[in-house]
Amino acid sequence: MDGIKTDKLESSLLIVILDTNPVWWGKKKIAQDPMTLSHCVDCLTVLANSHLMVSHNNKLAVIAAHTDISTFLYPSSQPARPDIFKLPDDGQYEVFNSVESQLRTQLKTLIEADKAQVDYMEEQSSDSLLAGAMCMALCYIHRLEKECPIGESLTARILILKGSDDCPSQYMNFMNAVFTAQKQNVVIDACILDSESGLLQQACDITGGTYLNIPQAQGLLQYLLWVFLPDPSSRSKMALPPRAQVDYRAACFCHRNLIEIGYVCSVCLSIYCSFSPICSTCQTTFKIIGPQKLVKKKIKKP
Amino acid sequence: MADDDDKGYRWETEYEKTWEELQEDESGSLQASVNDILHRAKRRQLLEKVTNVRLGMMRHLFVVIDFSLAMADQDLKPTRHLATLKLLEYFVEEYFDQNPISQLGIIISLNKRAEKITELGGNPRRHIKALQDLTSRACQGEISLQNSLELALSTLRHMPSHASREVLFLMGSLTTCDPGDVRETVKSMVEANVRCSVIGLSAEVRLCKTLAQHTGGSYGVIIDESHFKDLLGQQVTPPPASSQTESSLIKMGFPHHALVGDKDKEEKPSMCMCHLDSGTAQGFSTSGYFCPQCKSKYCELPIECRACGLTLVSAPHLARSYHHLFPPDSFRELLTSDIIADGPVCCYACQVEILDPHVYTCDKCERHFCLDCDLFTHEVLHSCPGCASSRSLQTVQAGL
Ligand SMILES: [Zn+2]
Ligand SMILES: [Zn+2]
Ligand SMILES: [Zn+2]
Ligand SMILES: [Zn+2]
Repeated sequence: MDGIKTDKLESSLLIVILDTNPVWWGKKKIAQDPMTLSHCVDCLTVLANSHLMVSHNNKLAVIAAHTDISTFLYPSSQPARPDIFKLPDDGQYEVFNSVESQLRTQLKTLIEADKAQVDYMEEQSSDSLLAGAMCMALCYIHRLEKECPIGESLTARILILKGSDDCPSQYMNFMNAVFTAQKQNVVIDACILDSESGLLQQACDITGGTYLNIPQAQGLLQYLLWVFLPDPSSRSKMALPPRAQVDYRAACFCHRNLIEIGYVCSVCLSIYCSFSPICSTCQTTFKIIGPQKLVKKKIKKP
Repeated sequence: MADDDDKGYRWETEYEKTWEELQEDESGSLQASVNDILHRAKRRQLLEKVTNVRLGMMRHLFVVIDFSLAMADQDLKPTRHLATLKLLEYFVEEYFDQNPISQLGIIISLNKRAEKITELGGNPRRHIKALQDLTSRACQGEISLQNSLELALSTLRHMPSHASREVLFLMGSLTTCDPGDVRETVKSMVEANVRCSVIGLSAEVRLCKTLAQHTGGSYGVIIDESHFKDLLGQQVTPPPASSQTESSLIKMGFPHHALVGDKDKEEKPSMCMCHLDSGTAQGFSTSGYFCPQCKSKYCELPIECRACGLTLVSAPHLARSYHHLFPPDSFRELLTSDIIADGPVCCYACQVEILDPHVYTCDKCERHFCLDCDLFTHEVLHSCPGCASSRSLQTVQAGL
């Protein structure tokens, strides 16, 4: 690999956000679905190692988005536990070995913490806190960009592997992360394992990433390698699935209905589906003459 | 803003002895120390930033650029003229980033006249293109403050009353050549509720100070290029809504984007309203955004429908501004040595081991962060990575 030398040292950082929602994965297991967390992690490991193999300078991070926490699976500050994972030293590239063992160790820790909690816990939520993981990914990218030596360039992208539902209460944090990614030229790709995600469709569209709901669970590895391994810059040369139509309609704050025409508070930009005299977000009272004025204007014009 | 008056002229204030804070590191370099001071200054700025002001976020701003001979001066590199245009490009990007449904227009002033370069509009690319074209334009003659203000006012006075009306003057000259009494114009700016701010490139001018004071704007004179950038940056944040700015509910449309080759019916290609006057075939296609009220077609959002006057935006356009409503609380500074942890203290967001004597903590989620992440979180991201990763803290922001 070192044989390929370009004049400028370029490295590519891939951050994978893995949805580890225990409720969703639990359901899959009960239904005896071929898609299991362990299968998914296997595919992810192959993708990760392939990415590291493309260039010696490539970098990798994996973050778990859980129901109540986001945590780095790789690189992690804790050393791999040899009791859980041991590979025969068969001359395997040591980075690959450490990726696989760290991923498994950290996941194990995450799930064990879950089990400990289950005894005195209320019900677990069926959605994951993606926005938190995305914020951490962006901070990590920001750090590596600062650490990047002069003369070297770093491009970063985020791949989200998601099965559970969208979490509507995260809308604001999610959008903040998406716009930050757009500003920092970070592409967000989404690989959806279950129902469509309106939020991720928007995220991919805004940042220029690829959104794909995979038709067959067994094909996960193929999709990861064929669609998501190539850098976004080289994707234009490939025949990829066509862009999905993105729904940009707004959901009103009062009933969460999707609307085409609505009323927006001029102070805080909250969206309502009908006229109300007071804004419930910022408590501003509106003058009732508002709509009448509009009528007057319309009469004046012709 | 009222404090500005008592400050007096800059040369009258006490000299800041910045060098006393500098310390050499082991290798004898000052760079680390300088960086540290810059960082801490930034943090202070963030803390001072007024939070939760009422934001009149539909802004209408005219940027007036001095194009007189005074702009050919080389005290900014390569010239005042080129340096200003370059910084404005950055300003336009930032402006639309933080004021997504606002509009902006560009006016230049030279040869005692004022000339409108771009009409008020919400498309950053159009303004940036115009700014790039202006680099080849020569600076000539004198400016006219009065003519520029009148020209801006002629458009701004037709803007809806719920929106803010603003003028930002970038002025290199110390004089202005006006046809009439400028004070009358200042008065009419006050009456029309237009906020005028001035950034001077050379020295303080009494007239500009008066203009800014009377209209509720700000006035600053640059020290160097980075200070220029800071002053421009302050204009990016929406001003507090003035008392006369009515708050209201604005009717808006959220058009869906029709793609080429929609299955339902064979769509006929049509002309978009934005390129109607251009006389080219640009904009003639089947795709575009359709006004939900009158079905006029547009290439881009946000825009005000030319046919029925409805403001057309997309939901993410609005979402881009929500961070002004719920900014994350500032982090608390702690001593790293006070943190009880088994092993080294690491930043929750970026995993870096914190070697700095200070660590920053979010009081809500109680996670620790490094200084870099503290700044990045509050300046760019606007969400705390720890709070966004905690289920129990979701309801706090679930107001949406
Ligand atoms: Zn409101
Ligand atoms: Zn219309
Ligand atoms: Zn950090
Ligand atoms: Zn927090």
